[in-house]
Amino acid sequence: MKPSDHPCAASGARAGQELLDTIDGARTVLIATVDGFPLAVAQRQPLDADRLAAIVSSIGALGTAASRETGIGAPRCLVVESTQGRLVVRCVKAGTHELVVAVLTDTQALLGRVWTALAHVERTLAAA
Amino acid sequence: MDLKIVFTGTPGAGKTTAIAALSDLAPIVTDVANTDPGLGKAVTTVSMDYGHVDLDEGVRVRLFGTPGQQRFDFMWRILVEQALGLVILIDNSRPDPLADLRVYLDAFADLLPRMNCVVGVGRTLECPVPTPDDFADLLAERDLAAPVLAVDVRERRDVLRLIDAILSQAEAAA
Repeated sequence: MKPSDHPCAASGARAGQELLDTIDGARTVLIATVDGFPLAVAQRQPLDADRLAAIVSSIGALGTAASRETGIGAPRCLVVESTQGRLVVRCVKAGTHELVVAVLTDTQALLGRVWTALAHVERTLAAA
Repeated sequence: MDLKIVFTGTPGAGKTTAIAALSDLAPIVTDVANTDPGLGKAVTTVSMDYGHVDLDEGVRVRLFGTPGQQRFDFMWRILVEQALGLVILIDNSRPDPLADLRVYLDAFADLLPRMNCVVGVGRTLECPVPTPDDFADLLAERDLAAPVLAVDVRERRDVLRLIDAILSQAEAAA
C-alpha cells in the first residue's frame, strides 16, 4: 500500500494542516506510520519528510521501549528540546492503525498548546 | 570488562533473532507493525535491539542491533559509536545478497578498515549461492579481510561463533 492510499492519509493531512495553522511557531506537522513512512505533512519550510518520518518512528519506538522497561505504561508524548526549537512526538492509535504524529516548532511555541493540539489530532484520526 | 558489538544487515536477516538467541536477558526490542508489504514480515525494528551476554573471565558483551532499512541509517551511525566490532548479517534468500552486502560496506566504509568485522550469511542451505568465496571476493575488492561464516541465527552456538570472530580479530590486533 502506498502511503497516499493509507486510510489515515486524508484525515491526517487535514488534521496536520489545521494544527499547523493553529499553533504559533509550528513549522512542520508530520503524520507517519510507526515503521517510518510519511502519510501526510504540512510545513512552512521545506523539510525531508521521508527522513523525519524515519527519525520520529525511531524516537517513538525508543519511547515505547523505555516506558515498557521502566513500567510506566505506554508513551504519550516525547519532546526533544533543542536550542532553536522543539520536536514533539506523539504515539497515537487510529482504529487499528498505530501512527506517530510529530510537530516541529520554534522556541516561541507553547508546549502546552502543542500537547493539546496533538490530543485533538489523535481524536480526529480516531474518529475518521 | 564491557565490550560492544553491533549487528547490522538486511531486513529479515535475523539481527533481532541473533541477539535474542545469545542474550542472557530478554532483549530490549523496538519492533513495530510493518506496513511495507515488500518486507514480508509482520514487525520490523525501527530503532535498536539490545541484549548482553556474560562470557568467561568477567567479560560482558553488549549486543546492539540496528534497523535494517536504509531509511534508518542515522541509527546505524549512532549505534556503531565505540563498538569493538560489527556483525553484518546477510540473508542469502534475498534477490541480490552481494548487492545487500555492498550497502553496508558503503555505509560503514570509513570505519571498516579499522573495525573488527564478520559477515554472517543466513539461509545458505536453501540458497547456497552466492558462496562464502563470492562474499570474500567482494570484501577483498575493498581490501577487507573480514571472515564470512554461514550461520543459523536461531542457534546460540552460531551467533557465538560470530562474536568469537570479532573477539579473535580484536585480540590479534592488540
